[in-house]
Amino acid sequence: MKKRRVAIVFLSCFIIAGLLFTGCTIPGTSGSTGGTQTTAKKIIVFQSKVEITDQMEALAEEYKAETGVEVEVWGTTGDDYFQQLKTKLANNQGPTVFSLAPGSESEQMKNYLEDLSGLSFVGKIAEGMANVIDGKVVGIPYTVEGFGLVYNKSMISPDEVKDYTSFVKMMQDQKAKDVNGLSLSQESYFLIGHILNTPFALQADPFQYVADLAAGKVKMADTPEFQEFAKFYAAIRDYAKNPLEINYDKEIGDLATGKSAAIHQGNWCAGMFNDYQLDFELGMMPLPLAGNDCLAVSVPAAWYVNSQASDAEKQAGKEFLTWLYTSNTGKRYLMEEFGFIPVVAGMENKNLDVLSQEVAKYTAEGKTIPWPMSQWPAGIVDVYLVPVAEQFFTTEMTPEDFLAELDRVWVEASK
Amino acid sequence: MKKAGKIAINIIVVALSLIYLFPVYIVIVNSFKNRAELYENILAFPSSVDFEYYATAMQKMSFPRAFGNSLIVTVISIAIIIVLASTTAWVLVRVNNKLSKIIFLVFVGTMLIPFQTLMMPLMQEMGWIRDHLRIPMLDSLGGLIYMNVGFGASMAVFLYHGFIKSVPVSLEEAATIDGCNKFTLFWRIVFPMLKPTTATVAILDVIWIWNDYLLPSLVISSKAYRTIPLSTASFFGQFTIQWNMAMAGLTLTIIPVIIFYLSAQKYIIKGVAAGAVK
Amino acid sequence: MFKKQDKGWYILFTAPLIFIFTTVVIIPFFIGIGYSFFSWDGLPLNPKVFVGMENYVKLFSDGRFLSSAIHTTLFTFLAILLINLLGLIFALVVTTKLKVRNAARAMLFMPYLIGGLILGYIWKFIFGDAFSSIGEQIGLTSVFFNWLLDSRFALYALVIVATWQMAGYIMIIYITGIQGIPEDVIEAAHVDGANLWVTLFRVKFPLMMPSFTISLFMTLSNCFKVFDVNFSLTGGGPNNATEMFAMNIYNEIFQLNNYGYGQAKAIVFFIVVAAVTLYQVSITKKREVVMV
Repeated sequence: MKKRRVAIVFLSCFIIAGLLFTGCTIPGTSGSTGGTQTTAKKIIVFQSKVEITDQMEALAEEYKAETGVEVEVWGTTGDDYFQQLKTKLANNQGPTVFSLAPGSESEQMKNYLEDLSGLSFVGKIAEGMANVIDGKVVGIPYTVEGFGLVYNKSMISPDEVKDYTSFVKMMQDQKAKDVNGLSLSQESYFLIGHILNTPFALQADPFQYVADLAAGKVKMADTPEFQEFAKFYAAIRDYAKNPLEINYDKEIGDLATGKSAAIHQGNWCAGMFNDYQLDFELGMMPLPLAGNDCLAVSVPAAWYVNSQASDAEKQAGKEFLTWLYTSNTGKRYLMEEFGFIPVVAGMENKNLDVLSQEVAKYTAEGKTIPWPMSQWPAGIVDVYLVPVAEQFFTTEMTPEDFLAELDRVWVEASK
Repeated sequence: MKKAGKIAINIIVVALSLIYLFPVYIVIVNSFKNRAELYENILAFPSSVDFEYYATAMQKMSFPRAFGNSLIVTVISIAIIIVLASTTAWVLVRVNNKLSKIIFLVFVGTMLIPFQTLMMPLMQEMGWIRDHLRIPMLDSLGGLIYMNVGFGASMAVFLYHGFIKSVPVSLEEAATIDGCNKFTLFWRIVFPMLKPTTATVAILDVIWIWNDYLLPSLVISSKAYRTIPLSTASFFGQFTIQWNMAMAGLTLTIIPVIIFYLSAQKYIIKGVAAGAVK
Repeated sequence: MFKKQDKGWYILFTAPLIFIFTTVVIIPFFIGIGYSFFSWDGLPLNPKVFVGMENYVKLFSDGRFLSSAIHTTLFTFLAILLINLLGLIFALVVTTKLKVRNAARAMLFMPYLIGGLILGYIWKFIFGDAFSSIGEQIGLTSVFFNWLLDSRFALYALVIVATWQMAGYIMIIYITGIQGIPEDVIEAAHVDGANLWVTLFRVKFPLMMPSFTISLFMTLSNCFKVFDVNFSLTGGGPNNATEMFAMNIYNEIFQLNNYGYGQAKAIVFFIVVAAVTLYQVSITKKREVVMV
């Protein structure tokens, strides 16, 4: 009897301790340490774009040589980046400078984002590209990226694929030649995330539409662009290989070897073709949903400074970003080494890969639609949308049922 | 006749093992191919076997340092786990009271907690220890070793507990009469008899600690302390994976474990042979 | 063995490990329980709202969580059977006097070392391309098709891959058990004229009971917590048909940012699993033969 009582006392102590621990946040020790404008001698950069990891390391060495400030670059697989960033920020062992996707991701983290409005080059950032939260510029854009149909110029012509009817005809013609007219692949964003962005972007006010959808005020099933999207999706199911059997590598390989005429991808995939000897030209064209003639172009990631770092570290982080966007070395890295499309005035990239050139061309012509997907509820693509797409591609689900199911999970995800 | 049969059995066992190893074959051949070759035929032999991807992978991983860090973390963690878990398990078996039973059940029960639910509070606690007690639990090899010991404790205690039961008590009693204290009794008499279990614990823990990614990825930030799985992480992005590097990196990671396994398993057999003399 | 005055030894031998274990596992676990009463996204600067038992009430009407429970149970049941059967057979084969036993051991044990994306990639290829082409060639398309696209077969595919991974791992424990049987006992059985099967079932297996307890428990805990294989091979698909507990919890915490709710799920999951396993351990423990 006595033992049991002791056990109960122990257990309740633990629970109380647990509650205390959870209830009151331990104030960070690395917070403000004096108001002097000193600059730290070392900053830590953690960023999600794995493709530029090696170049970041080289950049860090040049920065040290030029300014004497050490830059440590943390590694990531990219997949678990956000999870690691959150865990590290939560324990005051966060990096000084980090990257996020502007939108619901940066919105969630806004308490950790330092105001960068005062940086010298902020005024030169292209219209609407900086991440502004509560009237303050907090995120400096990396670049712009665009997606649409990446296609084989010797197999299809954009002039012949302008709307649903001509799209279906193209799919049928290619199928007759045993070629995939348009291929998707099984990875979440390549399966449904990016392609579903288009009907959102075609709404009169795309971002308002996302909000209304979450509030249950509108339904995809009642919106014409979405109805047509479902028909496009059905055409892919009818006339192309099942995207669930194709991975990113295979999607690229199929296009490179002439087994697909087009894939739904963005300019980020240009590097994937390096190992192939292409005997045709690659191009990018819009997904002709509801007559759409624009590529979906936006900022995939932006730089942020950790507001919880010490003042000296924050200062060093800001100086690093300023250097990156204004010094000759920094600009050279952004343009030549990272291969970015310029988003800040005074930069030019003459060596863009062929797909980025197309994105830059569409951007210059103003033929772009936004990425309302950046405002979708967190995690919705992987956790809610992919299962519906999988159901669509493995069963006889009708386009109407498909939309109804998307509506249903959307409400669930928005709760 | 009998000899032919034996050879046949040997061949069958090898053949079955090879089928079982088919996926490993895929890893190895594809560590020599570029993206286009991989797409062409995932099963084919590579057109040329040169070790350029291995060289690049080793260089990008800072292999010598990562290897050193992994070695330090693995060896020290396992040494501590073995010392502490064997003594704990022995006492818990031999002192057969309620408290021992409860402690044992708590150890075993926690093996069922998914790590994902512990990681956030654990990091918070360790951050608190670092900030308030000034013990560098985060971003240090020592901290990682400490946490490895904590997470490895359950399984090791469980394994030792299971096998200590089959060790006869009579020997220990005799030694006690001879005037051994508990400390010498354990290390002189009991621990040597547990050699097979110790080898088993060491093997299972090497597999786990050497390959562990999640915990080190949270604990270690600095480049100087990266273990092998952390240093290969950049090859493994879902959207950026370079298969040849990733597979070369994986091969480099597992070869030491296999070598270790082959040398350690002898102790399982030797240990028993030694025990049988008793 | 230990008497009252040996208390000091008891503490000396157990306290260090218990201390480390408490700080690393027990305290975070209780902090986690604390969080399960909050609605929170895991970031300390963001608001934490105390919601009491709401998270716990909610999960019993969470259809997806409940069906992940069913998948996990089914998966665990099948995987435990296969892993232990195969692991035991492997162990018996490689402890014979075969010349190739050492090479075979190393080979069988290798799969456990391949995880993550690469595992998913390889097995997706085998179930996709390889199965389809085998099916077409030998005309058995009812067996050889892409298992990962069928909601029932995708679960079996997971069982197969988990077995492939874990059987060699569990083999190690069975080997230890088999090697631990004193030679003289086996010889005595031979002298008494026992054949292979009798030796196996009447002599070896009863003496290997600790190995069975350990192996069953370890497979049980590994299968219930299965994440890697689930994540990289099916990602829970098609249409959530293979989403397991750990993945459901992972999604809740890290994808949907519902940290408190995810913790509540984890606690309930833990209680259920602990009840099942402790029951299992207590059954097999009773069958162990204690050597005196």
